This record gives sequence, structure tokens and C-alpha cells, in this order.
Amino acid sequence: MDFNFSDDQQQLRDAVAKWVDKGYDFERRKKIVAAGGFDRAAYDELADLGLAGLYVSEEHGGLGLGPIEAMVVMEELGRGIVLEPLAQTLVTSAAIGAFGTPEVQAAWLPRIASGEALVVLAQQERKARYRLDVCAAQASAAPGGAYALTGLKNVVPAGDQADAFVVPAQLDGKLALFLVERGAAGVATRGYPTQDESRAADVQFDSAPAALVTTDGLAALRYAVDVGIACACATGTGAMDKTLALTTEYMNQRKQFGVTIASFQALRHRVADMKMQLELARSMSYYASLKLGTPEAERRLALSSAKVQLGQSLRYVGQQSVQLHGGIGVTDEYAGSHYFKVLTQLEMTWGDTLHHLGEVSDHMQDTAGVFV
Amino acid sequence: MELAFTPEEQQFREEVRAWVAANLPKDLARKVHDDLDLTRDDLQGWARILGKKGWLAYGWPVEFGGPGWTAVQRHIFEEETTRAGAPGIVPFGPVMVAPVIQAFGTPEQHQRFLPGIASGEVWWSQGYSEPGAGSDLASLKTRAERQGDKYIINGQKTWTTLGQHGDWMFNLVRTSNEGKPQTGISFIVLDMKSPGVTVRPIKMLEGGHEVNDVFFDNVEVPAENLIGEENKGWTYAKHLLSHERTNIAGVARSKRELARLKRIAKAEGVWDDPRFRDQIALLEVDIVALEMLVLRVLSAATSGKNSLDIAGLLKIKGSEIQQRYAELMMLAAGPYSLPFIEEAMAAGWQGDQAVAAALRGFPGGSTGNAVLAPSYFNMRKTTIYGGSNEVQRTIVAQTVLG
Repeated sequence: MDFNFSDDQQQLRDAVAKWVDKGYDFERRKKIVAAGGFDRAAYDELADLGLAGLYVSEEHGGLGLGPIEAMVVMEELGRGIVLEPLAQTLVTSAAIGAFGTPEVQAAWLPRIASGEALVVLAQQERKARYRLDVCAAQASAAPGGAYALTGLKNVVPAGDQADAFVVPAQLDGKLALFLVERGAAGVATRGYPTQDESRAADVQFDSAPAALVTTDGLAALRYAVDVGIACACATGTGAMDKTLALTTEYMNQRKQFGVTIASFQALRHRVADMKMQLELARSMSYYASLKLGTPEAERRLALSSAKVQLGQSLRYVGQQSVQLHGGIGVTDEYAGSHYFKVLTQLEMTWGDTLHHLGEVSDHMQDTAGVFV
Repeated sequence: MELAFTPEEQQFREEVRAWVAANLPKDLARKVHDDLDLTRDDLQGWARILGKKGWLAYGWPVEFGGPGWTAVQRHIFEEETTRAGAPGIVPFGPVMVAPVIQAFGTPEQHQRFLPGIASGEVWWSQGYSEPGAGSDLASLKTRAERQGDKYIINGQKTWTTLGQHGDWMFNLVRTSNEGKPQTGISFIVLDMKSPGVTVRPIKMLEGGHEVNDVFFDNVEVPAENLIGEENKGWTYAKHLLSHERTNIAGVARSKRELARLKRIAKAEGVWDDPRFRDQIALLEVDIVALEMLVLRVLSAATSGKNSLDIAGLLKIKGSEIQQRYAELMMLAAGPYSLPFIEEAMAAGWQGDQAVAAALRGFPGGSTGNAVLAPSYFNMRKTTIYGGSNEVQRTIVAQTVLG
């Protein structure tokens, strides 16, 4: 049993941590928020570190790394609540790498790895809520081996900034995944900030030219989302870690009644409970990443379990961090409130706690444990 | 033991309901029902309407012009106005400073201040908390130095709710550094237009502007603005807290919001999910239990027997319920609570006309979802303000454990 990180993994973590510390401080983030929640220059800097190609094979110009490397990267980005959605790059490149046609892989993976193409998953539909098997978007074969895709997807991360979308759509009654370029005919976007201050968009496809990624759409989508959940667990762990650190720093410095509030037993116990939630979440983040490569049924149960833990932890750590700060915790000026909003939105990303509780509940076996 | 309102109380309820139906502006009620931003005119307009009826000062003693209602009648009034979509009364004038002026002020001060409060014409703000004095309010530092027939005030108050609209302000200020901190505090009122008063907005995490910093730079206040005696201000402020105000539980508002939560759950398709619906059921039970607790307090106040000194429990549970319905509303909308389109949080937003048809309007089509996450964020304040729930628990524990 070895949960230590290799030297390479530690160096990767340190490189990202350094970029966040030196290159993405809270002041820079505030400026990006004021400009709409996405800065291509920041995304390019991540790509320059090779991170956009983390899940892309070396054959296609990437780093050819795996879930643990992704985890340490996302944790450090979460610690800095970085707005630019590298998680989307990991999700789409993993899905294309695992399920895509050779043509799509050759056409897109190198461009994703270099940072030239930001490709995001355009999946959310009104009637689907958190379900992946509900999809109204339709695709049909068009002349020349291409397809035409029609549908409306909501809350697509960086949807008005991305270069292309991976889009689930029904093809002859079965879910398939397609790739559509944002600049293509028949694609309209309407961008807006989201509650965690990052950028998203609604994307309307109107017989838009689409390339087929895979006809095994549901399996590919489930895999993509599980990659996303693992990213969210790591991001959330990093963000919660920093949230707890901000909270304890405040408590050790804020005095009332002549003593620091850190000396009040009720608050000390609260901090202990926050630490509990953080460590349980970190544990399940490891679990999520370690289970990404397992067979589908096992993987889905494991990732849903991780998301349930993450959701509970995000809510507790976020809410209590605000409470322990008193009044300043609910002000915009204070960095901690921005962490709280990120933690809140993360719970509703890739399916909320109750949704994944249902998944676990529906798939429970007679016995359970880390080892199946 | 009887769980029923008397026929007289029922009739009173019907009178209040009819009056509210006839006098509460419909567009204001709509804004309140949809949790949209309220303007100064919205709030002061309603205060004036109530004031004309003599119902803004609904808790005042008869000798000061109050309607002479019982505790149960006050509760009924709160229920009927809230249920119909009236905004909560801005309490600083009618509920907070008026009783202090009535109990400890001079007849001249009664004449100067009470009519403007009762009519809704004068907007009052509260100056209690300071950056260094939150839970430890007694450690406040804003000083008032007596110079001839004036006090010169220097310092800073914070978390002044709606201070940007304030005409007058009541403040706890330090007039002595001798002895325990509580014994050096005075209660003084001042015109917010006095030279040296600066109001600075504090932006909330969801973007709203509801609290302020107020800075005092050599503000000259006439000595006759002191209420009561110098250095007795702390006891006057505590006098306020000793009233059994059941409104703090917020039951009427929680019942209204519970109904709204159910509507949202149905619109979002989660009403048919037993897992989600059970969460609403748990909240419903909490609200019913709190309402029963409130009724017990009212009964005790009415009968004069078995006084229930549990204001702390009402505040703790009431605030947690408020947070929970806000949380469930946001979770009900789920991904469709995530877009942050500020314009959609104001009344009358029709969507962005310039954008293509399917993309116009709020993502997913339900503009009502625009306010849910901001409201969730904003409501985190309820367990912090008014005496944090930690402090409230300490007080409750003391009553139990000694």
C-alpha cells in the first residue's frame, strides 16, 4: 500500500503550485472575473506547462500521464481557485483518447495538447438535470461522411471562448459523441459568468457540421464524466485545504473578549470537524483517481461514492468557513467568500450529492469497502 | 390546553387580511414573492402605508400611539402581512430605537423623534458593531467626547444595514474608559447628514449592497441627542433584547418560502424524486415544530404563566431553517442555478433582446432561478448576525446548566 507521490509527481505538483503562487494571485483573478471569468492568456500559460496534454498520449504530442498526475495538478489549481477550465481539457482529451476514431484523435489531440484548441464538453440539457442518458440533441448523417447536429446545451464551461465542443447527440436513436467547432456555421453562443465567477455559455447548434467521435456515446460520456468527477474531487480538496487554512489563520488572529477566537472550545471542535471533512474528501479524491481505470460498473460506483463524500465535505467546509469568519465571511472583499462560492458550485458539477447518493444506493452490493 | 385562535382573534385576522389585500401594492408583493431586489422606495413606500394606518408602530404601547394589540394579535399581523408578500418592516426605527426613546428619553425627545418613526417618514439606521467589536460589542471604541453643549464623535461603525438610506442613526458610543467596558457606553442619536459622517457600501459576496461602514470624523452632535444618562447606554440596549419578540423566528416568512420551494421543486422536476422530496418534508417538520414553539411563547405571554425565556432558541432554529430553504431552492434548480445574470434579479427583466431566440432569457427558461444561488450565499449571514448562533447557544446553555 503506497500513497506516496513519486518524485515526478511531486515536481509536477510543485510546478503548478509555483505557477499559482507567482502567476495567479487573487488580484489577477479579480481582474479576470471583472472581464467575464476567463482569460485565454492564463489558459495558454497552463498549456505552456504541458498541462493541456496531460492525458494526451506522447504519440499525439502530449505528456501521456495518468489520473494521479491529473489529481495533483487539479488539486493545486483548486488551491488557487483558478477560473480557466483545465478540467474540461482533461475530460475531453481523455474521452477522445479512449473512445475517439483515429481520425478525430489525429485531428484534435495534438491541437489540444499544444493548447491551440480548447475543447470543452457541451452536455447539459434542460430535461436531463444530472442524468447522462437523457439527450434531446439530434445528429444525422450529412454528405461527405460528416454529420449535422441540432440541439441546445446550457452552462457549457467557457462555452463562448472554447475552440470546439464535444457534444452528445442522438444518432439513429442511440447516444453518440460528436465534435463541433465553435466557429462552424449554425453555432451560436451566449456567454455569462457563473456563481463561482468562472465563465460559461449556452450553445445552440442548428444543423452544425459535426465530426463523429464515437457511436459508443453513453459509455464514452460516462467515462468523461467520471474523469470530471475525479478532477472535481481533486480541485475541491485543494480549495478546501486553502479554505481551512484561511479560516485557521483568521481565528488565530481575530480577538474578541480579549482572546483569540481560536481559543473558544466550541470553535475548536468545529475546526476539528472541518479537518475531518477535508481528510475524508482527500481520501476519496485519491480513491476516485485510483479507480478511474477500473471496469465501468466498479468505476461508476467508486466515482459516485467519491462525489457523495466530496459534496458533503464541500458544503460543510464552505459553510463553516464563512460562519467562523463572522461578518467578513459574507463580504465580497474577503477571499474566503470566493472559495465558498467555488465549493458550492463544485457540489453541483457532474451531479450533486443527492444524485450520486442515488447512484450509490441503486448499485450497492451486499458488502462494501475500498477493496471490492 | 387549546390549539385555536379565539373568535375575536379570527376576526382580527380577517380584518388585517382584508386591509393588506387592499393596501399592499401588487407589484411590490410580486417582487417579494419572487425574492427580487427591493428599492428604497419599495421599502419606505410600504412603511408609509403602514404608518398612515397606525400599524408601522404596531408594537408600541398605547400611550405612545400603538394600536394596543396583544402578543397574539401582533403575531397574526406579522403572519398576514408576510403571507401576502409584504416586505419585512425595516426594524431600526419602529422596533429598535423607538422603545429605547420611549423608556429612557425625555418628553421632548418623544416629541422630536417618535412621530417621524411612526409615520415611516424618517429612516433610521443602527450603529452598534465595529470592526473590532462584533460578538464582543462592549469593547466598542467609537468615542463621544463632551465639549460644551455638544458631543464630538470619532470612530467607525460597520454592518450598518441599509445605512445608505438612513436619515437618522442611533449609536452606542464610548463616553468613558473607566471601569468595565459596559459601564462607559452611551446611547446617542444623530442626523446622518451631519458633517463628518461618511457612509461607505460593503459589497456582499453575492454582489448585493445591504450593509455599510459608517465613519465619524469629528461629528458634532448636540448634547440633547443623548438618550437617557451618560454611561447607561449598555443597559438601554439590553432592554431591547429582553423583549420576547417571536418575530425573530421568522416562521411566517419560512412558511411562505416553503411554499415557494415546493413550487420550484415541481417546476424543476425534483418534486417527483423521493430523495429530494424527503428533504423538503424534513424542513416542513422543522417549520411546524418551530411554529408550535412560537405559539407556546405567545401563550405564555398571554397567560402570564410559565414565561418561556427562549428567544435564543427561536433565533437559532429560525436562522437555520432560513438557510435550509435557501439551500434546497438552489439545489432544486441545480445546474440551472449556476448562471449569474444580475439583470435577471431585478423586476421586469425580459431577457436579452439582442440574443438569438433560443438563447434569450434566462438559461433553461426559468428566470426565477436567477436569485436562488445569490440568496443561498446571502443567507449565510443569518447564523452570524443578531448575536451569532454560537453566542446564542452559550446563552441558552447558561439558562440550562447555570
